[in-house]
Amino acid sequence: MVSEEYQGAQQWSRNKQAVFTVAWISFLIAAVGTMVFFAFFDPVALGSLYDDVEISRDAGYATGFFFFWVLCAICSGITAYLVRTAPKRDRKHRQ
Amino acid sequence: MNSTPGASLFESAKKIYPREIGGRFDKLSKLATVVLLGLFYAVPWLLWDDRQAVLFDLPARKFHLLGLTLWPQDFPYLALLLIIAALSLFFFTALAGRLWCGFACPQTVWTEAFVWMEQFTEGTRSQRMKLDKAPWTLSKFRKKAGKQFLWITFSLWTGFTFVGYFTPVRELGADIVALNVGGWTLFWGLFYGFATYGNAGYMREQVCIYMCPYARFQSAMFDKDTLIISYDEKRGEPRGSRQRSADHKEAGLGDCIDCHLCVQVCPTGIDIREGLQYECIACAACIDACDSIMDKMNYPRGLVRYTTEHSLQNKGTRVLRPRMLVYGTLLLVLTVSLAISMATRTPLRIDVMRDRNSLFRELPNNVVENIYTLKLINQSEIPRSFALTVDGVAGISLDGVDDEITIAGGEVLTLPVRVRAARDSANGIATINFVVTATDDASVTAAQDSRFIGPTP
Repeated sequence: MVSEEYQGAQQWSRNKQAVFTVAWISFLIAAVGTMVFFAFFDPVALGSLYDDVEISRDAGYATGFFFFWVLCAICSGITAYLVRTAPKRDRKHRQ
Repeated sequence: MNSTPGASLFESAKKIYPREIGGRFDKLSKLATVVLLGLFYAVPWLLWDDRQAVLFDLPARKFHLLGLTLWPQDFPYLALLLIIAALSLFFFTALAGRLWCGFACPQTVWTEAFVWMEQFTEGTRSQRMKLDKAPWTLSKFRKKAGKQFLWITFSLWTGFTFVGYFTPVRELGADIVALNVGGWTLFWGLFYGFATYGNAGYMREQVCIYMCPYARFQSAMFDKDTLIISYDEKRGEPRGSRQRSADHKEAGLGDCIDCHLCVQVCPTGIDIREGLQYECIACAACIDACDSIMDKMNYPRGLVRYTTEHSLQNKGTRVLRPRMLVYGTLLLVLTVSLAISMATRTPLRIDVMRDRNSLFRELPNNVVENIYTLKLINQSEIPRSFALTVDGVAGISLDGVDDEITIAGGEVLTLPVRVRAARDSANGIATINFVVTATDDASVTAAQDSRFIGPTP
């Protein structure tokens, strides 16, 4: 009955893990942020604060979402980078 | 918790070919998939009083939920609802482990649907493995193309349905048929469709293992009385193959025949016999697999089963424990308060803005006038008439406002209002109160304070 060897879960490289995790978590947080932000602010009203900006709601929501996504990705990307590249504690003090 | 066994630790990117298995939990998971996906695809098409029953109308900033219309000002309800959802997740996780992951998570549900399409076009697990190893032939191309066709069509339909929650789906359907879909609608439809295709077609268990935050911290909600899927080591070990007729107890063997079926059916590719692992999404496929073998061997079922750590140690399992009581009470209190506040919600709102350009105006006959802009929102679905009053300063009155203000259902009325008071009673800053009341129902009323400014005496 044992015809195929044990498969095991796929192993991702650390870089792949970092990229996908950062992209995905910042996506989720950006979605929440967009929802909360636009519950309080109407993109049309925000646009009308400036004389030469005319923005539709659809475009406003999308811009807001991508703004939050990029912002969150920068934040968690830098955090992930710093955590991963921090100097290792030396062995003597590890215990 | 154990990690994956050493043998696979250093091997890169292996594809998992989950083996199909029938059984109790398989039926349950198929049912969950059909019901949940069915709801997802059907709900936008439902009607309620001639309009889409569930429509998150973002361009109009209104959410329609059956008979209810929610406005941006109702945001606290949404926040409360999300808190309730999170608490329910904690509650059910503490009670019965990763029920959400195994049966209800969109990642699981769509992956299941994509695996069905894969099985339909490429066949069973061993056929799929053989096909992937085989050189490219016309028949392989046909099978792969068939799978891609189903996957892509299904993904596009999914993206279209998703957008249908935010744009009237019937108009959208007509637009699609006429190949006349607007920019952002098209973009979000393709975006969601592509995410579905990638996540359910290719990423699958890797989303759960590497990207899902819940999978990492769910163990914080577990305790020794949480229902988990577990291999009964005491009963199974030492594992080993044997003749069906042989008396394995005499040969010193446990009940596990080491057939690896539980490993082959696992969508995340783990071996449940290694103990509780964070990769386990509790889909219970290994229970079905093992039960089918136990039946064949005439052993009792349940070598792999839903159980708790305490019960595996022959200690009693407690369902009512402090953790459950805390989660349960919070859940109950929040749900009841949400229900009460929704039921007693007044479908009327008033916002008052003082005119910023002038403090006040002095009129002849010793009268002082302030100007305000009122926003009246009729949040009910029917047109209604309202009466507006103001008080707070002796002899205060409204000017230029009709006795009855009619506002259509679900509309916002912007109303410039002049408020007047005698100069003697309006020195300095006074607080005044605007009250708006429906003429047909005095309980539908809303009020807001503002300031009335007069000259210093």
